[in-house]
Amino acid sequence: MAKTLANIFPNVIYQGWLGDGGWWTSIVQTLYMTFWSAIFGGILGLVFGLALVVTDSDGILPSRHLFSVIDKIVSIFRAIPFIILLAFIAPVTQKIVGTQIGTTAALVPLSLGVFPFYARQVQVALKSVDHGTIEAAQSVGATNKDIIVDVYLREARSELIRVTTVTLISLIGLTAMAGAIGAGGLGNMAISYGYNRFANDITFVATLLVLILVLIVQILGDFLARILDHKNA
Amino acid sequence: MMAETIIQLDNVSVTFQQKKASVQAVKDVTIHIQKGDIYGIVGYSGAGKSTLVRVINLLQQPTSGRIQVGDDVLFDNGKEVISTKTLRQKRRKIGMIFQHFNLLYEQTVIQNVGFALKHSNLDKKALQAKALKLLDMVDLADKADAFPAQLSGGQQQRVAIARALANDPEILISDEATSALDPKNTNQILDLLQRLNTQLGLTVVLITHEMDAVKRIANRVAVMDDGVVIEEGSLLDIFTNSKEPLTKEFVGAEKGSKAIAALEDAHLAQLQPDEIALQLIYFGESVSEPLVVTLYKNFNVEANIIYSNIDVLGETVVGTNFVVLKGTDANRQKAIDFLKKANVVVKQIKAGDENHG
Repeated sequence: MAKTLANIFPNVIYQGWLGDGGWWTSIVQTLYMTFWSAIFGGILGLVFGLALVVTDSDGILPSRHLFSVIDKIVSIFRAIPFIILLAFIAPVTQKIVGTQIGTTAALVPLSLGVFPFYARQVQVALKSVDHGTIEAAQSVGATNKDIIVDVYLREARSELIRVTTVTLISLIGLTAMAGAIGAGGLGNMAISYGYNRFANDITFVATLLVLILVLIVQILGDFLARILDHKNA
Repeated sequence: MMAETIIQLDNVSVTFQQKKASVQAVKDVTIHIQKGDIYGIVGYSGAGKSTLVRVINLLQQPTSGRIQVGDDVLFDNGKEVISTKTLRQKRRKIGMIFQHFNLLYEQTVIQNVGFALKHSNLDKKALQAKALKLLDMVDLADKADAFPAQLSGGQQQRVAIARALANDPEILISDEATSALDPKNTNQILDLLQRLNTQLGLTVVLITHEMDAVKRIANRVAVMDDGVVIEEGSLLDIFTNSKEPLTKEFVGAEKGSKAIAALEDAHLAQLQPDEIALQLIYFGESVSEPLVVTLYKNFNVEANIIYSNIDVLGETVVGTNFVVLKGTDANRQKAIDFLKKANVVVKQIKAGDENHG
């Protein structure tokens, strides 16, 4: 069995499990980058998305100026192609992390790359909350905090989980590019060890692993969104 | 009895600034609502009813005017004269229900009611108990742990009523609350509002485009058209003495006018000199009295009913008849005096001698 595998995927076996360029190392790197940039970028995106909805002209704290500033920040970051953002943001990364290369250094551009995408998704999700529901909450004397927590976030919960799933999948895609700044991961495995060395079996297995990761996220997200949705009896 | 004014809107205007044009949704409206009233505001969609009532709890800021609820002035001289915190407390004393219920669909029925009690200083147990009591009042205690989407429209509206009443308000604003419901549920909700009005002394502001709802429970009515209150008065007044064409249309009086027009050829054009056409409006007990017989027996006047209609306004039965009275001048006059004494509103439609003069 092991022999047959070694025949079909010689380079895959050669790559090994641990150490630099090992499969386990790459999987951990991808998970590490996805997890932490999802946390940082997620918080940033949630705050910006929420701010966009709240300060909008029909929001609970309308402010044309604030809305316009936030809106522009999100649009500009969204417009920069990620591979360029990686290089462009390097001086900032240096300041924050102390180095421009490596897995941890990649968290800065990854977070900044994913937050505008997530902010827009959150904005759309929160906008799905009916204005009448907010009005009803105001009519019973709810504070703005009540409205944000119990109305916006709670009512849009399933919708938020759905857009988070989409964002996570998109984020896994971004981590594949982080190899360009020496962050490693499965994307790097597919390109540097697979494509660049004509080791197609490595590319194949790396792709398969990414697909499995995406599938797990998708199934989990769909499941959560479904069991937490009470809008339809 | 001099009632106490609980909602006082003076010269209220609301203008929406849009990109190019400005739309005046409410134009210089003055309405005073007395404590314990069920005050109907009727009009077609777009008449400004919803905008007008939203200024009562300042969900909508007026452009100008003065708003007083109870003893508190909320808005005067173009600005809010109440702090955000006080306004929130005030809003808890003004319940509101909506056409589409506007419940929290990710929270259970009892959590929806509890949400309104969040700032009530009740501990968890007392809050739960109060929420359950409110649900019991709307006959939904058994659905406490259900989600709103599992309930029918009428039940959802009852949850909304329980939520609106959570902080023991003195006022309940109903914004087209029955418009999305079927007739059976509509009547249930209206009867519930009436019960709350009687039992709790709740003042109800009832916005609707359905005159039947107003007829069923309101005691006062304002008719709105294009941002203006065109007519205002007691329910009976509006029904029997409306002056504006739109009001007549709403109360169904135009049916009478159409009947007259249709009968013009058949009856009215051929009135004899000893005949007179009258509109008789009568209420309550006089309805059951055999007026026609009495007129003939006592005054030797023949009454020919050419159109007849009966309405039920709240508890009062209101009959409208178009009749042609035939008899000598003196007898007809006596008959009319008798009708007036019997609390029948008598309006002359046409006299026979006009035609044959």
